[in-house]
Amino acid sequence: MEEVKILSAKFAIKDAHKLKVAKKHGAYATLDKLFAMAPVDVIDEVKRSGLRGRGGAGFPAGVKWGFLPKDTGKPVYLAVNSDESEPATFKDRYILVKDPHLLIEGIIICSYAIGSHDTYIYIRGEYTTQVKALQAAIDEAYKAGYLGDKVAGQDYRIDVTVHRGAGAYVCGEETALLESIEGKKGQPRAKPPFPAVAGLYGCPTIINNVQSIASLPYILDKGADAYRAYGTEKSSGTHLFGISGHVERPGMYELPLGLPLLEVIDTIAGGVWKGRKLKGVIPGGSSTPVLLPEEAKTVTLDYESMAAHKTMFGSGGIVVLDETVDIVALVKNLIDFYHHESCGQCTPCREGLGWMLKLIKKILRGEGSPADIDLLRELCDNIEMKTVCVLSAACTMPVRSYLDKFRPEFEAYVTKTNASPAGLQQE
Amino acid sequence: MADMVKLFVNGVEVEVEAGKNLIDAIGAVGIEIPHLCYHPALGADGNCRMCLVGIEDGRPPLVPACKTPAMAGMKVLLDAEHIRKIQRDVMELELINHPTDCPVCDQAGECRLQDYYMSYDRRQSRMTVPQVVKGKKMAFGCGVVHDQERCVLCGRCVRFCRQITKTGELGIINRSDDARVNIFPGRPLHNRYALNVVDLCPVGAMTSADFRFQQRVWFLKKSPGVCHGCARGCSITVDHNREKEQEARIYRLRPRHNPLVNGYFICDSGRMSYKAEEEGRLNEARHGRLARSVDQALLAVAEDLAQGGKITFILSPDSSLEQMVTIRALAEKLGATLSGFSDGWIIPGDGDDFLIRDDKAANRAGLELLGIDCSRTGFTAAVEAADLVVNCNNDLGRSLSAEELGQLFQSRRLISFASHRREIDNQAEIVIPVASWSEYAGSVINCQGILQHFPRAVVRNQPPMELVELIARLGSPLQSEADCWQELARLPGLPADPATIPTEGLQLNDNEAAHDQP
Amino acid sequence: MSDRSELISTGKPFSFDKKRDAAFEQLSKRYPTRESLILPALWLTQEQEGWVCQEAIAYIADRIGTFASKVYEAATFYTMYHLRPTGRYHICVCRTLSCWLRGKQEIVDYLRNELSLTPGMVSEDGRYSLEEVECLGHCGSAPVVQLNGEFHEDMDVEKLKALLASLQ
Repeated sequence: MEEVKILSAKFAIKDAHKLKVAKKHGAYATLDKLFAMAPVDVIDEVKRSGLRGRGGAGFPAGVKWGFLPKDTGKPVYLAVNSDESEPATFKDRYILVKDPHLLIEGIIICSYAIGSHDTYIYIRGEYTTQVKALQAAIDEAYKAGYLGDKVAGQDYRIDVTVHRGAGAYVCGEETALLESIEGKKGQPRAKPPFPAVAGLYGCPTIINNVQSIASLPYILDKGADAYRAYGTEKSSGTHLFGISGHVERPGMYELPLGLPLLEVIDTIAGGVWKGRKLKGVIPGGSSTPVLLPEEAKTVTLDYESMAAHKTMFGSGGIVVLDETVDIVALVKNLIDFYHHESCGQCTPCREGLGWMLKLIKKILRGEGSPADIDLLRELCDNIEMKTVCVLSAACTMPVRSYLDKFRPEFEAYVTKTNASPAGLQQE
Repeated sequence: MADMVKLFVNGVEVEVEAGKNLIDAIGAVGIEIPHLCYHPALGADGNCRMCLVGIEDGRPPLVPACKTPAMAGMKVLLDAEHIRKIQRDVMELELINHPTDCPVCDQAGECRLQDYYMSYDRRQSRMTVPQVVKGKKMAFGCGVVHDQERCVLCGRCVRFCRQITKTGELGIINRSDDARVNIFPGRPLHNRYALNVVDLCPVGAMTSADFRFQQRVWFLKKSPGVCHGCARGCSITVDHNREKEQEARIYRLRPRHNPLVNGYFICDSGRMSYKAEEEGRLNEARHGRLARSVDQALLAVAEDLAQGGKITFILSPDSSLEQMVTIRALAEKLGATLSGFSDGWIIPGDGDDFLIRDDKAANRAGLELLGIDCSRTGFTAAVEAADLVVNCNNDLGRSLSAEELGQLFQSRRLISFASHRREIDNQAEIVIPVASWSEYAGSVINCQGILQHFPRAVVRNQPPMELVELIARLGSPLQSEADCWQELARLPGLPADPATIPTEGLQLNDNEAAHDQP
Repeated sequence: MSDRSELISTGKPFSFDKKRDAAFEQLSKRYPTRESLILPALWLTQEQEGWVCQEAIAYIADRIGTFASKVYEAATFYTMYHLRPTGRYHICVCRTLSCWLRGKQEIVDYLRNELSLTPGMVSEDGRYSLEEVECLGHCGSAPVVQLNGEFHEDMDVEKLKALLASLQ
């Protein structure tokens, strides 16, 4: 088992973020081919590649582009989602810093395919150094004529603006992201209308994740079939997996989809650290339901296998939990995050996550009762899917999985047999 | 007529207006879908999640009714157990951080949370952890007091200030359960409609400094009325009560929904105009310097009128059509002249493009319809030619300075029928108190030519005499309200019976009645 | 989150300096609506002053031509805008999942106990301020600390000590 280098092809090359170096290694080489194609053919090629949105939901990118209404007389916007704020997700950052021109080239391909002239890259505010690297690359691209009024000498204008977030996880939700670009609080919009019909400034808008966009140059260059050669039938291509938590070699690894989860953890990431035993695996970011070691044995890293195991591929952020993890404290950490990030719009999420947080703290303090565990579990059901967006579900789905799979640990806290003050320290 | 479609609610077929959202469409046939954030004047926001309903065979299985248009054949589920559970669950979550201080909350009795708790929840609280602490008794300006803890973050007040007044003073700041409504420091509510946020608030988060703690709402009698603050004539509800052994009192005015006139709102000065019904009232009749009973004073007036000589009646542009027509009839009988001069009631530039009008008179259109001269020249000529002037509750001090009035009435006999104490009446020989608009039934025509009728709201312990009755007793040929309407019905477009005027008013065809200037 | 509604008034008028003024004007050409400038303008303010005061929010609202309540909403919703001055060295420790699993608490405890820093507060000498923040997107090199915006990965107490010692 080894890594593939499609998206990460230039990551190891020194100064590949600089245009000169990037070009030497093939950056912008697809543009001649691109402008010789009809936009609809570009869309078809992407559809054929099977590329699925790499932001977490896994919706086929080409299909999404096909939802754009024709000839509305309004501009079509491209919003690039670089908010990557799902805990345990840290893949797009590498593209932004190590190969930003790959992203820009992808933006040109996507813009041309969907007929867009204005791109906003929404980058999370925490990415301080990354935003500088990205802006520098964009400036270089403008200077070199890859962006601006005549992209690569063609009669096609593309302007790219970096819009910086300022600390709000929810802005990774595509309509919250649009609200944030419009200067508002990042509060998700009700759908319909979908952004493809009425998105940014009320205009047709395509929102794609950085990694999705960065996959386009390869697909265009080598063709859909070459891309499909990686991965599985329904989950094609490669993905930048982030492996973190209790492993020997945490980090970002580009792998084809479909590899066995535990094998990846063992061979790529060096296995559970310190020779400890595995307690559980979070397969795709903190919002995905946890897998017990037993369950993890049969899981492969693709959308279908994850769904079959009642969890999700998510953002490809794998977190390994060793035997020492206090699950109750971990759940408190999770609820803390989602409560902190709730946009405050919908009643169930706004009020409910706060209640859940106070309950788990009560349990951690040893002041809880079995009824509190039941209530916590019930609240997961009461809150989930009653809201405009899925942020509340991003909290309740994993929390439910911990409650169901590690119930004795919670009970130990309320029956006072677990005197561990681990949770208390963190308030 | 709007397009109607048939759909099913809980399996029962109903016919509703197509395209309207489910709350309004189904609500129109009497089926309630609970909601907090949706308001027909402010549109759907979709944040409260109380209106989630099931659409059978539909995708997705749950939709917010406020954002879902009624469509033919739709199968809407409201009473299914899973929908009832959602309503219970959302109510529980609305209430966990709510102070439940109903005993000291002004909203009690007209609170959506209270009502919905009874309809959709009715469970013991399971909240065993500390509640979120937020701000109390925050003065937001314009007499609006805010309680952040009672607030359910529906955002109606915020949307009102952004969409309707376009002044945007309010915002929901922070996020998560720390979100709260606030003003930006130093930029409080500053618009002429601000108190509408008190009505809009479905809970007790927005209260009126004026009304707070004055009266429990269930003691209030609610009478429909028409605001006399300006020529818009907004439909209102007069909330009044007589406490044991006290004088009857108006506690507040609220907008009464009228799609033709004022929608859901009224301006703040109209809302506060009830104070003028309570303060500065003329209570005693007098003849010369001596207090007289109304009957005695009326006898004296009748004698004066019988003496002949040139008489001028001055009408008020605030008077009801009934009052105007009966005064006109008496004047015609006596060969007297009439003037409705009231230039000073018009404050140029004061109106706006929403509700407030330059003209502060409620029934100037009525004067015009009855052909009563309102010009200053006509007024001056009539007064100067008159031996006796009878002022029927026109606040002339609005139009003329004290000096001008003094000169005009120096050598002229003046009789005043007045609802309020006014300086001009010091010059009158005879003064008789009369009822003000909240104390009589009547009809007015607003600036859009819309005729509205309102019933008597307040009955004082010693009710002042109504002008129609007073003038009848002075010998007007029109002796009753019915007589008045027989006469009024001769005017184009006016009905013979005010009871036939719809609650939202009657748009008169006579375009002359409509002078739609700001 | 905690309540961020209380703004600090400096009592002095605020305006962009020349550099930020030019940047603001440049940015205004990149968006079809003025309100899109709210977040960028708040960033420019923070870049200029280190934090965002009440006067700056009013200035931004007026400069953009929008309601102060909207800028106030954004400033309190997005937690990276500092609504009070920070220490000269602003230390953000990631507290989320992967960093928590790999020992962020030891780092926080060190800062609390040895430097007497309290999350959300500035040290008495104004030198440090500490903030525990949500996921910084460096989970593969956890735990991570951000010092004045610069990332320091694979941290532990020893590395933190060395980092703090390297500061002047």
